[in-house]
Amino acid sequence: MKLTTCPHQKEVRQLMARGQWPAACTTELRAHVDACRACGDLVLVAEAFQQARAESLAAARPVSPALLLWRAQLRRRNAAVERIGRPLLGAQIFLFAVVVVAAVEFAGFEAHSGASWATWPFWRDWLAQLPHAAASQWASLSSGPLAASGWNWMLPAFVLATLALLGGAAVYLATDKR
Amino acid sequence: MPWELTLPDALLHASPGGLQQAAGAGACDPAMENEAFTVFYTRSSRPLWAYLARSSADPALADDLMQESYVRYLCAAGAPSIVADGEAAARLYLFRIASNLLRDHWRRPRAASIEEVPEEFFAARGHETQSDSRIALEPALRQMKPRERQLLWLAHAEGYSHREIARVMGLSAASIRLLLFRARRKIAALLRAPAATETLGRKS
Repeated sequence: MKLTTCPHQKEVRQLMARGQWPAACTTELRAHVDACRACGDLVLVAEAFQQARAESLAAARPVSPALLLWRAQLRRRNAAVERIGRPLLGAQIFLFAVVVVAAVEFAGFEAHSGASWATWPFWRDWLAQLPHAAASQWASLSSGPLAASGWNWMLPAFVLATLALLGGAAVYLATDKR
Repeated sequence: MPWELTLPDALLHASPGGLQQAAGAGACDPAMENEAFTVFYTRSSRPLWAYLARSSADPALADDLMQESYVRYLCAAGAPSIVADGEAAARLYLFRIASNLLRDHWRRPRAASIEEVPEEFFAARGHETQSDSRIALEPALRQMKPRERQLLWLAHAEGYSHREIARVMGLSAASIRLLLFRARRKIAALLRAPAATETLGRKS
């Protein structure tokens, strides 16, 4: 289809947009529109669409703008919550990975030492000797090169930090879903 | 109290459809935002609904898409501000959102059949179908492609220029010129032969 335009189309379009067609147009222009296919199409289509628009505007039943403002606010709030929750999810995954790695390391170490760690007597004995083992470890560290260098405060600080981290993680993981 | 409710307002209103971008501190006043939006909504909602209803030929869908268009406009980060950019720019942006929603709807496979539409829908809207222009235009529009219906409505009902239609439809102005010329010629032929249109409409 070849695109054919008429120089009068712009004038006709402006008259229609201003609502002055056909009352305010010249006899020559009206005669031209009757003869010109492009202008005739334009007038026919524009009149039909403008009449349809007027009817549709009357038929529209818009809801209250307050409802839309509320829905938009709700959606923004949800998006903000999601944005904040993204790093927290990353932290959860990281903590879970740390716990899994620690558990695997521990299991591997105990399996390597030949202990039957899957049985209750093993854990009973382990718990019983834990204070003695800790005390002896502390004594060896206190008299070791770390203590000599004046950095012996680091060990309890590290232990406390680890306990705080794991405690916080445990509390968070336990309460997050709720 | 849930912790989500304690979120700071600055975070929640990070992208309020350009309303916050309005110049001056007063524009950050929620009451003023609401007032500006209410005025804009009052002026633009009916033309937008008309565009959606005629392009989709489905008033119920037009209701849904109109609400979704406004909500997306209010949540959009780069939306033009009603106060700073003007209502015309905001309206153009809104029509663009609505056009994209229509396009998404047409791309999706149809899930609902005519039997699933409630009876009261037809009862409520029945009186509108009796008007003369519907009788003349509806069968012709039914034979047009969705994009042609959009183009014709934007050009001849809304009075948008080729460049404005191009922005709404996401096409070039040169393409709009050609597509609009073809669509106008096609619908003019259909409007000139209403009897033939009726017959074709019933067959399709």
